[in-house]
Amino acid sequence: MVGRVTERTLIADFTTAVSRLRRQQADAQNALSSQKRLREASDDPVGAARSTALRGETRELKAYDESVGLATTTLGAEDGVLGEVHDILTRAREIAASLSGGLATPEARQTAAEEVTELERGLLSLANTKVAGRYIFGGLTTTGPVFASLDDVGFTPATAYSGPATPFSVQTARDETVRVTSNGGDVFASSLQALDDLRQTLVAGNEPTANLTPLENAAEDIRQERASVGGRLARLQTRDLEIGNAILTAKTLLSDVEDADLTETITQLAQVQNALEATLTAGTSLLQTTILDYLRL
Amino acid sequence: MAFFAPLSIGRQALLASERAIGVTGHNISNVNTPGYSRQTPLLHASRPDDLGFGTGVQMSSVVRSVDGFLEARQLASSSSLGGATTGRQLLDRLQSLFPVGDEGVGTALAEFFGSANGVANNPQDLATRNELLESGVTLAGQLRNAAGGLQVLQREADQRLGQAASEANATLQNLAQLNAQIIAAERGGRETNDLRDQRQVALGELARQLSIQVVEVESGGVNVFAASGQGLVIGTDAATLATELDPSHLGLDGNPLSRIGITARDGSVINLSGDIGGSVGTLLALRDTTIANDAASLDLLATTLRTAVNAVHTNAAGRDLDGVVGTDFFSGTGAADFRVAITDPRKIAAAQGANLADNTNALALVAVAQQTFPALGGATLSGYFGTLQSRVGQQARSAEASLAIEENVSASLAAQREAIAGVSLDEEFTNLIRYQRAFQAAAQMINVSNVLLDDLLGLVS
Repeated sequence: MVGRVTERTLIADFTTAVSRLRRQQADAQNALSSQKRLREASDDPVGAARSTALRGETRELKAYDESVGLATTTLGAEDGVLGEVHDILTRAREIAASLSGGLATPEARQTAAEEVTELERGLLSLANTKVAGRYIFGGLTTTGPVFASLDDVGFTPATAYSGPATPFSVQTARDETVRVTSNGGDVFASSLQALDDLRQTLVAGNEPTANLTPLENAAEDIRQERASVGGRLARLQTRDLEIGNAILTAKTLLSDVEDADLTETITQLAQVQNALEATLTAGTSLLQTTILDYLRL
Repeated sequence: MAFFAPLSIGRQALLASERAIGVTGHNISNVNTPGYSRQTPLLHASRPDDLGFGTGVQMSSVVRSVDGFLEARQLASSSSLGGATTGRQLLDRLQSLFPVGDEGVGTALAEFFGSANGVANNPQDLATRNELLESGVTLAGQLRNAAGGLQVLQREADQRLGQAASEANATLQNLAQLNAQIIAAERGGRETNDLRDQRQVALGELARQLSIQVVEVESGGVNVFAASGQGLVIGTDAATLATELDPSHLGLDGNPLSRIGITARDGSVINLSGDIGGSVGTLLALRDTTIANDAASLDLLATTLRTAVNAVHTNAAGRDLDGVVGTDFFSGTGAADFRVAITDPRKIAAAQGANLADNTNALALVAVAQQTFPALGGATLSGYFGTLQSRVGQQARSAEASLAIEENVSASLAAQREAIAGVSLDEEFTNLIRYQRAFQAAAQMINVSNVLLDDLLGLVS
């Protein structure tokens, strides 16, 4: 504190105090209207870097979420298709079993051959299933069909698949990719072969006893693939929940870093308001009082 | 005792009070003059007569209330305050180039890799590919904006140097003239209080631009030196500060920056050296260190991003939608010319191998986001940007803090100066009454002497 106080000192103190309080008022007002504590990097330099990191993380998680969505849709569709293929194989096995034992008439075998042909067509059509224009058993390619038609010249089960050999994977976490597709040629190799053999046997009018085991094996292959799809679907469901939680956590943290504490800000505003009123009241009464008020010159 | 002595004493008292009232009036009228130091009339009893009787009052001089040490401290504080004010202004704008929230490089970077993941999910979809190109364009735009903003800011700091030099020159001329007036007045035995106040104000203005050292010489003049010891005002001669474009020192925009110095007799510019201080010192530090470093960091980020993304995109196994190996995704040499090099979404090499539905290369592009780089101190791209943003924020925050400190110091010194040199109207009015009473009494004395003289003359007639 200085010894001698002049009017100018009082005025300077008054204006400094008022402008400081006004600045605090504007700051609190700004925090209230924007609801943000962190408006520029200097408000909290470490917080600013953290906010950028959290925003990046949120965007990254949303990308994983999209991938999980795509994978879930695709694998879900695959599961459905594999189920139907399994039904086809079961039906084919029923046919083969009913025609075994040499009691069937050639006509019955002929009718059965036609049904099996339709079953094989159905299998090929299922293998060519598209989701959003992408072949789910063809590495999600948009160019197709990935399986040849039974009517194509020189059709053989072994060469029916013309799609990509590499499976399609998506990134669902920083260090986790999930395979969404399998090589359709591999998946349906045994089923197509078994079904095609059965058809050929029946067309040739032969007894299909030898076809039973391959059909059973093909159904087993489909069940295995379905189990693998189901396993990945289960993992994706967990991952979906994880991502949801992680996004929520990131948002909460972001809010902690960026958002203004309303109660605290309003309290601050009220305090500043009080201080400002007190300063103005004191200032106006002090500054107006001089010796002139008491002198009669 | 001479008969007319009371009359003469009265006359002198009248005169002294009148002049004291004049000084008080001078104080009152300068109550709001910046830099004015209150003046006090020095009264003393005049020389006694031969018999030792008092002969009345005399006003010997008018003194100015100042504290030399305080003035020196105020000059130093002016330099710091000038530097802090300039620093705050420029750094505040610097940090606005690195905004917090949804705008800026950080978000654009995350968006870019997010879109890359979109392409990985749907490599053959043109809309998704377009989205990646668009987010690349946005990212490139944000990088160029930040780099361009740094260029503008550096150029502005450079131009402000020229302004500071011309303002300082006006003050230097003014100081030399005031020196001349003070030396002449003191030689003639006249009071120089007001001229000295004006000179102190001018010194304060100069100190805002650069740190100075002031040495008062016997003649009453002051010599002013820069912190390096280079003379700025010697007696009645003022040096001229000049800025000159230095072709060997190029700015971020590729054009030469200025150097600031003192014009020598042959017209060449001798650089100001050492710790220059003040606004000029801050401008130089911001221009050559802070802004240049931030720009270098931004360039490093841009270069690393470009190299890493291009390496993946031009991978020999990578294929675009037409089955061709990818070309550079980003072009440029730094942040200022950072652009997306391809315009056709088909040219994005998302696949590896013949299968166009493959997304291996797109996944490799996504992985760049998590890659750490030795050049970035082992940080990821976004991590490095966060550090840069935090550094810029810290710089602005320190500038804010040091401005607040310097303002406080300056206010406290001003209050101390005001305590010594400030005019208090209460005091002045009290003094006015004091001198008014003295004047009235002296007048009464002359009146009495007059009556006595009348009485005496009456005796004669």
